[in-house]
Amino acid sequence: MEPAAVKVIATVILALIVSVAGVLAGAWWAPFVAGIVIGAVQPRARFAVPAGAVVGLLGWALPLGAIQVQYGAGPAASSLAAIMGFGHQGAIPIALTLMVGLLLGATGAWLGSAARTLAYPAISR
Amino acid sequence: MILALIASAAVLYAAFFGAGPLPALGPAFNPVTGAWTMAADAKVGSATLRLAGLDQAVNVTLEADGTTHIVAQTDHDLFLATGYVHARFRLFQMDLLRRQGEGRLSEVVGKAALDSDRFELQLGLLRTAQAEWSAASSRSRLAGIAYAQGVNDRISEAEINHQLPAMFTLLGYQPKPWTPVDSLIVKGDMTQTLNFTDTPLVMALLQKSLGSDLTSQWFTTLPPNPQSPYDPGPYPPGASPAPIAAFSQVSDSETVAAADAYQRLAALPAGLVATGGDSNNWAVAGSRSTSGGSLMAGDPHLHLTLPAIWYQLTLDSPSYHVSGVSIPGTPVVLIGHNQHISWSLTDAQDQQTFFYLEREDAAHPGQYFWKNAWQSYKTVSYDIPVLGGATDHLTVKLSVHGPVITERGQTTSVWWAGNIPSQDLDVLLGVDQASNYQQFRDALRGWYAPTHNFVYADDQGNIGLISAGYYPQFAAGQPWLPMPGTGEYDVTGTIPYDFIPQKYNPPDGIIWSANQRQVTPDYPYYIGTASNFFDPGYRANEIHRVLSQGGKLSATDMMALQTDTRDYLASEIVPILLQAVPASAEKDLLSNWDYRMEVNSPAATIWWTFWQSYLTATFDSYWHSRDVQVARSDVNDALGQDLEAWTLGDQNNAAFKYGGSSNTALDVMRLAFTSTVSTLSKQLGADPSTWTWGRVHQRVIENLAHVKGLDYGPRPDRGDANTPLAAPDFPSSHGPSWRMVVDWGKGTFQAIYPGGQSENPASAWYDDRVNTWFDGKYAAMLTASEAAKAGGALTWSLQP
Repeated sequence: MEPAAVKVIATVILALIVSVAGVLAGAWWAPFVAGIVIGAVQPRARFAVPAGAVVGLLGWALPLGAIQVQYGAGPAASSLAAIMGFGHQGAIPIALTLMVGLLLGATGAWLGSAARTLAYPAISR
Repeated sequence: MILALIASAAVLYAAFFGAGPLPALGPAFNPVTGAWTMAADAKVGSATLRLAGLDQAVNVTLEADGTTHIVAQTDHDLFLATGYVHARFRLFQMDLLRRQGEGRLSEVVGKAALDSDRFELQLGLLRTAQAEWSAASSRSRLAGIAYAQGVNDRISEAEINHQLPAMFTLLGYQPKPWTPVDSLIVKGDMTQTLNFTDTPLVMALLQKSLGSDLTSQWFTTLPPNPQSPYDPGPYPPGASPAPIAAFSQVSDSETVAAADAYQRLAALPAGLVATGGDSNNWAVAGSRSTSGGSLMAGDPHLHLTLPAIWYQLTLDSPSYHVSGVSIPGTPVVLIGHNQHISWSLTDAQDQQTFFYLEREDAAHPGQYFWKNAWQSYKTVSYDIPVLGGATDHLTVKLSVHGPVITERGQTTSVWWAGNIPSQDLDVLLGVDQASNYQQFRDALRGWYAPTHNFVYADDQGNIGLISAGYYPQFAAGQPWLPMPGTGEYDVTGTIPYDFIPQKYNPPDGIIWSANQRQVTPDYPYYIGTASNFFDPGYRANEIHRVLSQGGKLSATDMMALQTDTRDYLASEIVPILLQAVPASAEKDLLSNWDYRMEVNSPAATIWWTFWQSYLTATFDSYWHSRDVQVARSDVNDALGQDLEAWTLGDQNNAAFKYGGSSNTALDVMRLAFTSTVSTLSKQLGADPSTWTWGRVHQRVIENLAHVKGLDYGPRPDRGDANTPLAAPDFPSSHGPSWRMVVDWGKGTFQAIYPGGQSENPASAWYDDRVNTWFDGKYAAMLTASEAAKAGGALTWSLQP
């Protein structure tokens, strides 16, 4: 494997760890920071943004999955939907939650790659 | 780069601050610290917990339904653990209750709550609570301080472990530390809900628009209909009855003031102004019970919410061994039993709110005339933080009578018994500790507001009922109207404690209250008028009818009576209606009816609709022609008593002859019945056998935070406003908030409330008792040791 590819993969794994650990520590914005790191390491937006999205998504999805395993997320999802005015459609708050994680990671990565490109235009694209 | 920045900014903005109706998405939906924590919170298990402030270990047992048993080695630890447990399961509710009373709802929900906040700060629950705490007894101080410590222990724990209730996260704020004053505020909320009334304002508007002639005839001091007072006398000799003068004229400026204050109060959220009572309690002496011991039943009727106003628990310490329900935010059992006595309460409904018209003069700005001198108003200023808006500044003017409530027309202040600093917390602690009637009665001597009918039964077969509280008395004046504030009409004191309504071990062995007037017309003190604001008495009459039928009574009979749906008013009126109307399918249904408002009864629907039509046919012409400024439905209880009395004994009353007609009650009944059939045919179809009560009458248990999706129901339900199983309104959201039946002969204690112990909607304890309650069933009230042995029990070991 190319050293550059190893570097990118390592960065993504590290970013995922940072993302999950951050969220577990209460720093819900950690996926955004992780995304920035991915973007800074991998300035090509077409790679960085999907990677950031996955990292962000997993950053929020894994703790949510842990809730499901430990306590069962169904009643909470249903209650949140009711509070939000969506009846008892528990899928909506779950989707919304995952969407937030995904968007945080994706936009962080996009911003990181854009900043990297701005700083070092020669290695962009 | 610009696009990336814009996208990032948009996402971060929505995450940090929310978007439209959505909360700040980041903190709100963070799976670890956001609203999802309600999933973890819903799972309660046995645990060992460390609580700051405890002196010794405390054992807490949670039954399978969350009923909580606290066993402490010291009284201090008992109250601390109670605060912790309340906050563990009801912290958001407690915060809402204190915010409501302290005028701080706008801070978290925005300007929608500003009117409520301004009114509460004007009325003065906060000022009263602060004054009460500064004069609190050592017993109250111990309880209040320890309880607050327990609440704050839980707040700290929840913040550290990210376990604050989800509503805090979704609304984006954190609870402030709890204080003992907050507990007194919560008690003040209940006082306001139960006895802050606007009836003198209503009477002033009726006097002005309906006219003094009809107002004095229709809104009488003493009830016109037959009632069942529990204390028929004898009354103290020597005292002279309060003078009941004819209604005075109400001036234009007084009318403007009354209308302004009335409309302002009417616009407040439901529950801030008391509009009536719907509670039952009674007791049966050992001589009348199958078990040989005394029986007691109590079901206070309140706004039914999820979470409920009640939290069920038992408290055990060196000085307390008490079981029952508490209000989250307060450290006492309000209704329940200890080892020797049991008690429950209903609202006594005597008039505790009075309005004073302050005399002012342009030559004396900022002053009012009182006792032959110009007095300066005191002022208190408040800043009310408003979410999403500018801080609101409020200055409250206070006369000697109380806070000024309007300055339109004539400046009007309000005297309210709930504003008298009292030691009600200490009273309740004394009740919790009492072991006989003498101690119970002595403890209640200090109770001020709201005036309650405290029913009593003990393990020696004794029963009693005492309507403890403050009964304002006057040297002169018409307290059912706003009165001049110049000093002659001020409150001079209260009825001596020995002379307030009360009864101990009555000879017939039964005693009961259901918000009815407690005494006969011979009672020599003013306690309020028929419309201000005693219950019409139908529930009391029905309860008295059942209890006085003879024979021995059992706990099962008590339960049956708590869920009795027989409409006493219907039992009086329907036989007369059947004489008035011609044969029809609808009449046949009524002829075969047992007067029970059951879900499957079409006759119940016909009766209820008829009674409303009868009221309309009798009174609405007067209302329209005289442009009465009070909604007729607001005074239906008073008008209904008149209509009942006229139908039973004065069918030629002039009220039936509007516009010079020769109508009698029977003529108007026929008109109303025709209208009833027409209305129901249009609404429910042509076949009257399908007009079942359940199609028109439903019950809903509303989420306290007004989240519709978290309501229970609506679902068809039995009962109406007149039945012991009270279910007023459509849909009904008011009714028996707690049913308790005690049999001292068998040593059984059974109870149920419509809700659950947890405010967390994801918890199995959110609404797990509701179906049991709907079915009219009960759960045994266990002791701590019984609970520990019961299946599914959890244990918390609270360590210092």
